[in-house]
Amino acid sequence: MSSRESDRINSAQQTLDILFDISQLLNTKLDKETLATCVGLIESGVNPEALAAVIQELRRESVTLNVQAANAR
Amino acid sequence: MPDLSASLDSLVSALVPQARTDNALNAELLAHCQDILNSHIGQNNDADIGHLADLVKRHLLQTSPTGVTALKFTNLLSRLLDQPVLSKKHASILFLHSLASAPRHPTVTPTFLPSLAPPPPRPASTVPSAADPPPAHQPYGKSKAEKLREYRQKSGQPHLPEYLLLRDTLYLLQGISGKYIRLSVSNDDPEQNKLVFVEDSKHIIAGPTKVLIHRLSEVGHLYTRVEAFVRDREAKPGVGMIEQSLCHHLQAQLTEYYRLVAVLESQMSGPPHSGGHKDGNGGEGNVRGGEETGLTLKRLDVWINEWRLRMRMMSVCVEGARDAQGGALVNLIHGYTDNGDPFVRKFTDQLLEEVSKPFFATLHKWLFSGELYDPYSEFFVSLDPELAHVQYVHPSSLAGGIGHLSADGGFAGLGADNDDISGDREGGLRLWEAKYQFQKEMLPMFVGEAFGRKIFSTGKSLNFIRYSCHDSDWVATREKMSNTGGSLKYSDISGLERSIDTAYQTASQRLFEVFIEKFKLLDHLRALKHYLMLGHGDFADQLMETLGPSLSRPANTLYRHNLTATLETAIRSSNAQNDPPDVLRRLDARMLEYSHGEIGWDVFTLEYKVDAPIDTVLDPESMIKYQKLFNHLWKLRRVEGALSAGWMKVAGGSRTFLRLPDLESDWHQIRIVMAEMVHFIRQMQAYCQLEVIECSWKILIDFLDKKEGDLDAMIGAHSSYLDRMVKKVLLLSPKAGREENLLVQVRDLFSTILQFRDAMDNFYNYCLSESARRDQGRDVDRGVFTGLDQNTDNQQLRDALPRIRRMIKEYGSSFSERAQVIVHGLQSHTDLDCRFLGIRLSFSDFYKSKKEQQAQQQRS
Repeated sequence: MSSRESDRINSAQQTLDILFDISQLLNTKLDKETLATCVGLIESGVNPEALAAVIQELRRESVTLNVQAANAR
Repeated sequence: MPDLSASLDSLVSALVPQARTDNALNAELLAHCQDILNSHIGQNNDADIGHLADLVKRHLLQTSPTGVTALKFTNLLSRLLDQPVLSKKHASILFLHSLASAPRHPTVTPTFLPSLAPPPPRPASTVPSAADPPPAHQPYGKSKAEKLREYRQKSGQPHLPEYLLLRDTLYLLQGISGKYIRLSVSNDDPEQNKLVFVEDSKHIIAGPTKVLIHRLSEVGHLYTRVEAFVRDREAKPGVGMIEQSLCHHLQAQLTEYYRLVAVLESQMSGPPHSGGHKDGNGGEGNVRGGEETGLTLKRLDVWINEWRLRMRMMSVCVEGARDAQGGALVNLIHGYTDNGDPFVRKFTDQLLEEVSKPFFATLHKWLFSGELYDPYSEFFVSLDPELAHVQYVHPSSLAGGIGHLSADGGFAGLGADNDDISGDREGGLRLWEAKYQFQKEMLPMFVGEAFGRKIFSTGKSLNFIRYSCHDSDWVATREKMSNTGGSLKYSDISGLERSIDTAYQTASQRLFEVFIEKFKLLDHLRALKHYLMLGHGDFADQLMETLGPSLSRPANTLYRHNLTATLETAIRSSNAQNDPPDVLRRLDARMLEYSHGEIGWDVFTLEYKVDAPIDTVLDPESMIKYQKLFNHLWKLRRVEGALSAGWMKVAGGSRTFLRLPDLESDWHQIRIVMAEMVHFIRQMQAYCQLEVIECSWKILIDFLDKKEGDLDAMIGAHSSYLDRMVKKVLLLSPKAGREENLLVQVRDLFSTILQFRDAMDNFYNYCLSESARRDQGRDVDRGVFTGLDQNTDNQQLRDALPRIRRMIKEYGSSFSERAQVIVHGLQSHTDLDCRFLGIRLSFSDFYKSKKEQQAQQQRS
C-alpha cells in the first residue's frame, strides 16, 4: 500500500517535472510551486484559458503595484 | 468551492507579493480572478491534443527556428501522455500555451479579448427576413461589408442586386443589350462598342463589378464579331470553299457556345424570395443562397474563361479572313499552331483540320487526276484563263498521214499545210509552262515548298498526260486506284508526303513512258541528230552531191519542189530510207528568206517538223537552234566536199596527165596549202561530231534512261543538250558583244578556202589547156594533126598565168593568217573543249612556231 502511494507521488512528481520543462520551453516564467497550484486548479475543472488570463491579470497587477510603490517612495 | 478559492489565494499571494500583507487588495484580486474564471473565455474549445500540439510547435518554431525546442517539446509531450496522473493534460498544455503566447503580443491581447467578449448586440434586429441566418455567423457580428451595405442603404444608394446584373451579363454574352447595361453602338465605327451602365437614382453599380462585367463583355463583343462574320459570309455569293468551311467550323463552335450560355442561364436561379427583393435585401439573400449552388458574376467569369480564349482565336481568324484567302488563310491559321499554350494549339489544330478539308479535296483531285477543281481560286495552283481551253489538237494528218505516206503526196502535203501547223503549235511549250501557275503565297506552310513543287508538277504531268497525250484512260485508272488509299488529311502529314511522293513518281514515270514509247521522243531526237546535224554521212554526201550544182545558182532561181524532190532522192539513195516513215515524213527542205545576190548555198536549209505533244520538248525555239547548227555544219560539209574534190584533182590529175615541169613547183605549193586546209577542216569536223555532238548525246541518253524527274526535267535536259552543242559547235564565247567573233572568222576562213579552190580550179584549167597545147605541139612534131592551132587563146592564157598564180598565193597566205588568228583565239577560249580544238589545230605548235619564225625574221 505504501509502495503504491510512493509510486503515485513519484509519478506525480515526474509529471510535474515534465510540465515544468514544457513551461520552461514555452517561457511562461512560472515557478514549480505556482505551476503545481495551477495544474491542481485545472484538474479541478477550471478553464485553462481563463486561468491563463488570471495569471496575467495578477502579474499586471503586481507590476502596477510595484510601480505605485516606487512612485510613493 | 473551497479548494478553488484556497488555490487562488495561494496564487495571488505567490504572484502579487503586496497582497500578502494587504488584505483588502487580496480580497479585490480574488474577486477579480473569480470574475475572470467565470467569464466565457475559451468556452467553445474542443479537446484536440494534436491540434494543440501543432499550435505549440508553430509557436516554438517562431521563437527558435532551428527546431530543437520543438523536438524537445514533442519528446516531453509524449512522456507526459504516458503519465497516468493527470486527467486533463490537454487543458494543462493549453494553459501553458496561452500563457506563453500571451506575453508575446502584449498590445494585441488586451484589445483582442474585449472585442471578442461583447456578444453581438443586434443581429436579430438587422436581418428582418432572417429566414436562414446561419448560426455560425452569429457570434462574429456584422462584417465590414455588411456594415458598408447598411450604410449605403441608409444613404439611399444601394447596390444593384447581382442577379439582375447577372441576367444582363448573360445577355451581353450574346451581344444583346440588357436592362441595366447597354451596348451603345456608335454609327461611325461599329468596332467602337461601349458598355453603358444604366444607373438610376435608386441603385448604383459598384466599380469592381463594372470591371468584372467589362471583362465578361469582351466575350460578348468577340462573339458579335464572329457571328457577324458568319452571317455575312452566309449571305454573300462566291465565298471561297476554305472560307466556307471556316464558317462552318465557326458555326459549330458558336453552337457550343450557345449551349454553354443556355446552361449558365439555367444555373442562374431567379430571386429566391419573391417578396422584398426590390429593396436590395432580397439580392443579398440571393447571394447568400447562391453561394452554394447558383451563379455569380465571378463564377460566370470562371466558366467563361476558356471561351474567352476561344473567342479570341476565332476573332483573330475572322480578322485574317478579311484580307487573306484560300491557302493564305490556311497559312494564317497554321501560324498559330506553334503556340506554346496547349489549349490554343489544340484549338487551332482542330480548326485547321476543318478548314483544310476543301484544300485537301482539291489537292486529292489535282494529285490523282490532274484536274484543277478550284472555283474560287484558292489552291496554290492557278490556271491561266487564256489557256484554260486551249488544248492540243492533233493534226488530223498525223493519224492518217502515217498510214499512207505516199511518195508524191507526203512531202508536198506537209509543205502545203506547213503554215497552219506552225501557227497551231506556237503554244506547245507555252501551254506546258503557262497553263498552270504555281502560287507560292497560297501554299500552306505545312506542306513545304519542295512538296508544293512536287504536287504542282505531278498534277501538271497528269493533266498533260490526260489532255495533251490523250491518255486519259490511264489517268482514270490511276484515280480509281488511288481512291482506295484513304483520304488526305491535315493530321496525317507524313502520310500525305508519302502519297505525294508516290504520285509524283508514278506520274513522271508515266510521262516518260508516254513520251518515249508512245510519242517516240527518242526517235525524233535521233532523227534530228542524224539529219540536221549530219550524223548520217552517206545521206549528207548524197544530198551534197545532188544538190550541189543547183545550189550554186542564185537563190531566186531555186524552187522548193525541186529541193524537196532532191531531198527525197537523197533519202532513197542513202541508208536513211530505213528510218521509220513517220520520221522521214517530217523532214523537209526549204529556203530561208533570201535577198538579192545570194546563192543557193546561203539560203538552203533542212527542216524537221514536230507536232504536239512532242513540241513541248522540241519547242520552236530549239528548232531554230537546230537549224543554226545545221547551217554551220552544212557549210563545213560543203567546204570539206570542195576540198576533197580539189584534192583528187591535184593528187590524181597533176601527176598523170598534167606534165608541165615548169609548173611543178606551183603544184607543190598548192598541195602544201591544201594539206593545211584539209587538216583544218578535218579537225574541225571531228571536233564537232565526236567531241561535241556525241558527248552531249550521251549525257542526254543517260538522263532519259534513268527516267527520273518530270517533264520539266526532261525539257531542261534537252535544252541543256542543245545549248551545249550550240555553244561549242559555233565556238561561242561568253564575252558579251563578241560571242560570234570566232564564228565569223571561221566563216571567213570557209570562204577563203572556197576562193582558193576556185583559183586552183582556174590554175588546173590553165594547166590542162597548156598541156593539151604542148601535146598538140608534140603531135605536130610527130606529124599527126590533132587540132587547130589556137595561138591567140594561148596568148591570153599565158597572160592569165601570173594573175592566177598571184591569186593562189594570196588566198593561201590569207588562209594561213586566218587560221593562225583562229587558233590564237581558241587558245584563250574559256571553254575547255574549244581550247583543245585550238591545240589540235596547231598540233606540234605549227602555227605558233610560224609566228615565232616571223618574229625571228623580223628581228634578224
